[in-house]
Amino acid sequence: MEYVLNIVILVGLYVILSSSFNLIIGHGGLISIAHPIFYAIGAYCSALLSINFHVPLVLSILCGSVLAMLVSAAVALPSLRISGDYLLIASIGFQLGLLQVVEQLDFTGGPGGIGNIPSLVDGPQRSLLFAGIVTAIAVIVVLLIRALMNGDYGRAVRAMRDDELAFSMLGRRAMKIKLGIFAFGSGLAGLAGGLYAHYYQYVSPQQFGILQSSMILTMVVVGGMSSTLGPVIGAGLLVILPELIAFLNLPPSVMAPVQGILFTGLVLVFMFVRPQGIVGASTKRRSGLAEAGQGQGQ
Amino acid sequence: MFEPVILAQILWTGVATSSYTVLLTVAFALTLKVLKLFNFAQAAVMATAFYAMFFAYGTLQLPPWLGIAFGLLAAGVVTAAIEIYGFRVFRRRRSNSLTVFIFTLVISELIAHVFALCFGTEPSTLFPSIVSPVTLIGGLAISDWDIGAIATTAVLLILLILFVRFSKSGQALIAVADNAELAELYGIDVKRSYMLTLLVACIFVVAAMYLYGTRSGVIPETPLDLLLAAVIATILGGIGNVYRAAGAAVFLALVQSFSVLFIASRWQGVLTFAVLFVTILLFPEGLKLPRMRLSRFAPSGQPQMNVVASPAAPSNEP
Repeated sequence: MEYVLNIVILVGLYVILSSSFNLIIGHGGLISIAHPIFYAIGAYCSALLSINFHVPLVLSILCGSVLAMLVSAAVALPSLRISGDYLLIASIGFQLGLLQVVEQLDFTGGPGGIGNIPSLVDGPQRSLLFAGIVTAIAVIVVLLIRALMNGDYGRAVRAMRDDELAFSMLGRRAMKIKLGIFAFGSGLAGLAGGLYAHYYQYVSPQQFGILQSSMILTMVVVGGMSSTLGPVIGAGLLVILPELIAFLNLPPSVMAPVQGILFTGLVLVFMFVRPQGIVGASTKRRSGLAEAGQGQGQ
Repeated sequence: MFEPVILAQILWTGVATSSYTVLLTVAFALTLKVLKLFNFAQAAVMATAFYAMFFAYGTLQLPPWLGIAFGLLAAGVVTAAIEIYGFRVFRRRRSNSLTVFIFTLVISELIAHVFALCFGTEPSTLFPSIVSPVTLIGGLAISDWDIGAIATTAVLLILLILFVRFSKSGQALIAVADNAELAELYGIDVKRSYMLTLLVACIFVVAAMYLYGTRSGVIPETPLDLLLAAVIATILGGIGNVYRAAGAAVFLALVQSFSVLFIASRWQGVLTFAVLFVTILLFPEGLKLPRMRLSRFAPSGQPQMNVVASPAAPSNEP
């Protein structure tokens, strides 16, 4: 039971992460893969506030989310002047550079990370309660993004993404929209980070590297980019399927690579067999980033 | 600390250790120039090259040259497979750059997991000993590895220059890099040029991994880390100039080497990423822009430097 709840919690966290990432990359068309660094900022900030300053846990999680939002806005201001592959590489540089800094600082625990982080809920029903909290937050996040994207703001975001020049010619400020969705999406990642820290009670820089970026990105792609349901399905599928290997009772040295092979293999299969993602075909409303539509050409 | 001998030693070691980064950068920059894509799948080729040579020396007990040939063969097969079953499919579908980026990243991870399964995650070197004999020349410690690394890099770069300048296939690469559609109209086999580019890059990758594997331990994730330095150097050198990217790789290595005089060595890694971030934000087209200056004098009606078609052109943000 504990194992199942653990998976439910992991799925919930990844639903928040992939949905918020989809907001940036799918809806907003901003090709950045630095999402895990905002997840890390939320996790570290919340952990440090609760350990060193005894800040109430809910407040520390919210502070982590706000800090992620502020840092993302600060990074976005200069970075969003560039676009496409350059933004992608800049985001990698920012993510890995900041992780290197975290690894070198003493108060963040260095490469060993931070342990003994207070748990958000205690008692024998800890996992069950936490699963309920994370699931509820994940549902709220998905509904919030859906409401946002179905409204006037969502239409403006899509218009900016599909034709930025025409959008600007109409007197709208594309930078403001970009900044808004980047900060909002990153803030949600920070929220997921805080929840992660206070459930697993341990954070380390290795958990937020390029592999994490790849994982969240593939959840969005496999599920269906720029659809509301896509990242939810992608997160569920890509968390649960590799976990099924655990039932084979393989040694850990074999288990991790086999899970990785299954995970990446699945992504490759989807990229070639169903490039629009699982729900992409039914909910696709755009042609810019969706594979089925006409691309920019390579 | 600032004695001439110490400075000269840092300079020499910096240049020598930049050798494999230069080779990886040339491979990455060449692919970017001709195929117009940030080929993170190069990490998969790097891992294949290293572990094939590791298998050849450790298990098959092959002599060094045969081990390198084995590495070339394995890396070449993976390169060809990536081009035929990956890039060509995406080109046919006219996929966007994000899709191709995800593919290159995922294929690198897949290969890393396969090698982790086959060879474990402990650091491996190509030979049991990585100690290289050292000769003292004028107070400078110069190892055989240093000389071999610099010589290999220089020879490969000269061969590349000769190939591009004087061979028909090399000229075709330049034509395809400039305008693939126009090159095709002139009868150049663009598919062949793409494959050739990747195979030439593959030779540089094998050489780099041989040099790295005879000096440091490699784990399945190492290639992706090494590749990031090549990406940084490519951007620092300016997209589209392979040799300037190679120069940027040397510059980066020297910045890292000399930084020990001013900052703690543990911050060296951060320095590299800081250079990347600042370069992209402040100099998105590289540190030197001579072609831009030349284009200012282009006659009217003649196309200016094509920044829009560049894979990494900055947007016209209002």
